Amino acid sequence: MTPGQLLLFAMGGLANAAYLFIVAAGLSLVFGALRVINMAHGSLYMVAAFVTVVIANQVGAGLGFWAGLLVAVAVTGAIGGVVEVLVLRRVYGREHLVQLLGTYAVSLVVAGAVRIVFGANYRTVASPIPGHLNLGGYSYASYSLFMIAAAIVIAAGVWAMLYRTNLGRNIRAAVADPDLLNATGVNVTRLYTTVFVIGAGLAGLGGSIVAPSQAIGSSIDTDVLVLAFAISVIGGLGSIIGSAVGSLIVGMVISFGLVIPATNPFALAFVFIIMTAVLTVRPRGLFGLPEN
Amino acid sequence: MNLVPRIARPLFWLALATAATILVGACGGSATSSNGPVTFKGTKKVGYSAPLTGQSALYGHAVSQALNLAADDINAKGGVNGYKIEMDIQDDGTTVPQAVSNTKSMILQDNVVALMGSVTSAQCLAESPIAKQNKVITIDATCNSWQLTTESDIVNPYWVSIVPNTYMEGTAAGRLAASLNVSKIFIVSPKYLFGISETNAFVAALKKANSSVQIVNDPSTWYVPFPTNPRWDSTINAIQAAKPDLVYSNIFAADQINFVKQALAVDPQFFVKYPMTTLVSVDELNTLGSQYPLGMHAYMRAPFFALQNNNPRLTDFISRYRAKYNGEYPSDWAVMDYDAFTIWAQAANAAKSFDADQVVKQIFRAPIRSRCSRTR
Repeated sequence: MTPGQLLLFAMGGLANAAYLFIVAAGLSLVFGALRVINMAHGSLYMVAAFVTVVIANQVGAGLGFWAGLLVAVAVTGAIGGVVEVLVLRRVYGREHLVQLLGTYAVSLVVAGAVRIVFGANYRTVASPIPGHLNLGGYSYASYSLFMIAAAIVIAAGVWAMLYRTNLGRNIRAAVADPDLLNATGVNVTRLYTTVFVIGAGLAGLGGSIVAPSQAIGSSIDTDVLVLAFAISVIGGLGSIIGSAVGSLIVGMVISFGLVIPATNPFALAFVFIIMTAVLTVRPRGLFGLPEN
Repeated sequence: MNLVPRIARPLFWLALATAATILVGACGGSATSSNGPVTFKGTKKVGYSAPLTGQSALYGHAVSQALNLAADDINAKGGVNGYKIEMDIQDDGTTVPQAVSNTKSMILQDNVVALMGSVTSAQCLAESPIAKQNKVITIDATCNSWQLTTESDIVNPYWVSIVPNTYMEGTAAGRLAASLNVSKIFIVSPKYLFGISETNAFVAALKKANSSVQIVNDPSTWYVPFPTNPRWDSTINAIQAAKPDLVYSNIFAADQINFVKQALAVDPQFFVKYPMTTLVSVDELNTLGSQYPLGMHAYMRAPFFALQNNNPRLTDFISRYRAKYNGEYPSDWAVMDYDAFTIWAQAANAAKSFDADQVVKQIFRAPIRSRCSRTR
């Protein structure tokens, strides 16, 4: 493998990692703050992707995409608020299986609704950032570089929100001891709703950003969820830094694993081998915190 | 909408597949309005485990629409053996376990009188023994691995296939590639029965016709997991690194759409630099529209736009399909499954029975035999 090819495959791994992190970030935030494994996360991601594609195709790929992104984040945030009030408030504090079933039921409802509203056919939208760059004699899509940048901004934004704002301080306090936080006058119920709305909005942001790079159909919710969960488990459920590192590991393993003849047949299996190894050695993940 | 110019190079094997489908198309009957209300003895169900979700949802959607249209047409003509025919379509999510579960449920609980073959060969391979054990005829128009109809431990006497199999398609594609005067070929294929079967046929035909052609990627990297991660960076970058003269692919549905879209984002001239021979259907063309690249060596099973001339029955089918389904064009899978269903109905009517032995005998008897392609 020449240095140019090494760079080529590393960039491919980064693009893959960015895609996976964008999807996994909201999942991780919600689990970290609420200790809820949100099986409907992929559904919100899918709704946002459809909303973005529809608006972008109506208005035009450039401006339409950005308008679609804003609308999609607002729509998924609103759906998230409704889901939190109607479903999650009834399952907080109960065992994870109940939470899984509750959010899984939501995912089925959303999947059915999406099929009714948007139909079964796939949709595509042109990239709002067309063009490509040449590095070391190979081409890279400008949009992939945008996705990498977006993933970095999202990671930094969520970290700053958690560690540099009052909201983040309250979220971390709620994770540590919600009753004590409540006693200080903070409305924890509203705080939980806010966190879930932000998590849903992040799912929406992910769906919108990914939309121009792939076909949008009524199954993209489940396509990505398995790898997103694997990333969260490797990095540590609830840790944004863990999600970033987990995405990087998975993205690189897939990128290099598929092109090296000896590892190709096991490229995807390696992801789950790593996940199993992490679970065995450090059950809470590389950067995860132990549950209270 | 004008799809024809997007297929830049007419291929001889496209013509072969087309010719086969024209014959099949001739078997399909157009619906004629009945002269009065039709009375039925009752209702019989025909089962179809459909990928309404998952990797092949694009195809399951089209096939389901075509089968519902065919059932309407058959019922308008009095049904089958005096019974109204109702489609029993159950989503399998493009997964084998759910296809197996659906098949058992349709046979044992819904008492279907026939099954339509699923989309992927992996699903059909799992469904066939169940149908055989319960003696339920399966008419297959989509999954096409040659093992399904020729390998002794798999063959099911109640399995009727009207689709060109992987040996035919792979061989035709291999011969074409050998004739293109290329020296370096890159292979990308889904890692399951269909992809492996078709790719093996491609390689065998290619090497037989032109032994000097070099396949530039290692055989262990020919295949991608199926269904795969929606990101195709690895394959696209591997093609850039290998710089082949031709890419041979049989990836399909969502995988092909994602691959083409992401490759064009990497370089709008990607498919000019690395021309691609690939299985395509109307579904991929419809989804990508003007984004579908020119210059592809497309091989298709039943592209309506190439079949339409001088085939009034097919023209009628296209018109009615579009009228019923919001102007959608029928995909290759819709055309073929409509015909498959019609073949079964004709045979069951001729046999005056739903018994699988009787219906299979009729399918292999004139006049259907003289007008339709079929393997067994």
